[in-house]
Amino acid sequence: MKKIFFALLLISASLSFANIKVVASTTVIYDLVKEIGKDKVSVDFIARGDQDPHFVEVLPSYMVKLRNADIFFRIGMGLEMWSNQLIDGSRNSHLKTIDLATDIDKKEVPNFKPDASYGDVHPFGNPHYWLDPQNAKIMAKEIYEALSAESNQDEAYFKKNLDDFNYRIDKKINEWTNKMSSLKGKSFIFFHASWIYFADRFGIKTAGFVEPKPGIAPSPSHNAELVGIIKSKGIKTILMENFYSDSAPNQLSQLTGIKVVKVPTAVFGMKNINSYIEMMDNIINQIIQNS
Amino acid sequence: MKNKFLFIVLTVISIGNIYSQSSINPDISLIGTFNTYTNFIKGSPGYGKLNFDIPEMELFVDGYLNPYARASANISYENNEFGVEELYGDIVRGLPLDIQIKAGKFLVGFGKLNTVHPHAWPFLERPLFHQVFFGEGGFNDVGVNFSFIIPTGDVFTNLDLGVFKGASIIPMSDSYAIDRGVNPIFVGRLGTFWSLDDYTNLEVGLSGSYGCYSKANLVVFGIFNQENVQALNHFYSGLDFKFKYSPTAYSVLTIQGEGLLNNRDVPRIPVMGIDYTLASVQKINNAGAFIYADYKFEKQFSFGIKYDYTAGIFGSAPTFLSLANDDKNSTQGIEAWFSYYPVEETSVVRLGIQNLMYHYADGTNRNNETTIKLQFLFSLGPHKAHPF
Ligand SMILES: [Zn+2]
Repeated sequence: MKKIFFALLLISASLSFANIKVVASTTVIYDLVKEIGKDKVSVDFIARGDQDPHFVEVLPSYMVKLRNADIFFRIGMGLEMWSNQLIDGSRNSHLKTIDLATDIDKKEVPNFKPDASYGDVHPFGNPHYWLDPQNAKIMAKEIYEALSAESNQDEAYFKKNLDDFNYRIDKKINEWTNKMSSLKGKSFIFFHASWIYFADRFGIKTAGFVEPKPGIAPSPSHNAELVGIIKSKGIKTILMENFYSDSAPNQLSQLTGIKVVKVPTAVFGMKNINSYIEMMDNIINQIIQNS
Repeated sequence: MKNKFLFIVLTVISIGNIYSQSSINPDISLIGTFNTYTNFIKGSPGYGKLNFDIPEMELFVDGYLNPYARASANISYENNEFGVEELYGDIVRGLPLDIQIKAGKFLVGFGKLNTVHPHAWPFLERPLFHQVFFGEGGFNDVGVNFSFIIPTGDVFTNLDLGVFKGASIIPMSDSYAIDRGVNPIFVGRLGTFWSLDDYTNLEVGLSGSYGCYSKANLVVFGIFNQENVQALNHFYSGLDFKFKYSPTAYSVLTIQGEGLLNNRDVPRIPVMGIDYTLASVQKINNAGAFIYADYKFEKQFSFGIKYDYTAGIFGSAPTFLSLANDDKNSTQGIEAWFSYYPVEETSVVRLGIQNLMYHYADGTNRNNETTIKLQFLFSLGPHKAHPF
């Protein structure tokens, strides 16, 4: 009898400490979940910070992560075309999959059915919305709602963390906007079409992309075209994710003297980039220094 | 007639896809393969000439039926004929113990490579032992597979157990061979996957297959000529591994290999003499294996080499003395290739060379045979993520 009592006590104790198990498709989501959930969630991620989130191999080890999870947060809009195979492979029928794109003001959504001649990876619009810090707030709110639905009694706790995050990021957004104001109206070349949300937020312009189409590798003829654009518009900077090969941008740099700036676009994408705010700081500081 | 019917089905499917914007449509992809080759096989009519294969096509249709199940079909066009390569349903979630059930006609999970479609292999030629022990198109059978997850912590372990019709077993051409009739075969595989670090992954599997591969009437000559029909069984045990190291998004080293041990009943006709009547059934053991390494670099190029070994003289007609029933002779192969992927993986140009070496136990001398092949492969349809 005593044993049963102790067993029950143990179970109830473990229940009250039970936390929500979350898997995030990317490290940016991972960081935001930590901000909102703090010690009431245990969170893991799939795509590494130094990895192209479009192309992640379907590894059984990721299925194991999802197998034990309550919630799977994704960017959505087709960014994680690898994720359904992982979800199926996890065989977790209780898993809730939540796309954080739901309330995002989506850009470049095609009003026709794009075929492969439009590129490889953005058929549902541009999914790189996390590079606009205002969107990070929308993502955080979505995460807060999902966590609160999962654990009602912790709603106030999550709300407090959300408010705290919003307060800090609002301050940062002011700081970033001030810093970037000197570059307003300036044109940039980007590697991949992942910068539209960032560019619109801070008022910079896109002169072209190193990739001929999203997800299509750079080509000599397209590079030649870019040389013309860089020279005629006097563009000073190529901005690129640090996981892409810099061989095509470096060629452009040799031909035109344009600067190649490699930045992390995910948490843990570089040494000492351990949070979303650190990531945005790094991106903005590097742009300012090199433009 | 059958071809016409299939053609109509294909047309309807593709028109449906073009005109519908609905995302409920299944995924459709079309793989085209075109091979041109020259061989240096003495006495072969194509010796040293440029030969063209008839282009091959595979049409894949797959999608969710509902939140719990998927269905897939793979219709092939090879040698001027349509065929149903695969057609199966797959319950992926919702079952007790998180079992997944796959039923229909599909590529059987004996080893790892067999379940991967040839167009996704880095090389050109199907491993010799697959062709000898499973059949020309690999182990493709009609049946049911039950897949279990084994709780091994952070390591992914999967157990597959299946019952199959034996549809890919080629009948023996011996005069005393008898159709194997309705005799299920059993196939299982235990596979474990480890992430060694962020860039290095390894999967190891153990497979087994058991069942009747043929029957035989073992009365050869005799006074009484009584029928003596015996079922002849096979037992394959297999070991497979796949190792992948991808330090960057632009380069991948893959090393993969499989081995098979075959233990089976074979009828052996005794030398005529006093003991004149019955052939006897013996157990024989033989084996097959392959191993390859492929290195992909700058996302667009790859090269590699593969070594093959199989029991039997590759290319022989299947009898109770040849191929999988041959424990005396063997064939080895070396294949090397270079591939170019112009834009992602939507198209591949691949140049390969294969050299076959035959070993006869009785000392028969046969020249090595070399084939050079150039392959064009395109794939039209949604870009799918790569499974390990
Ligand atoms: Zn993208």
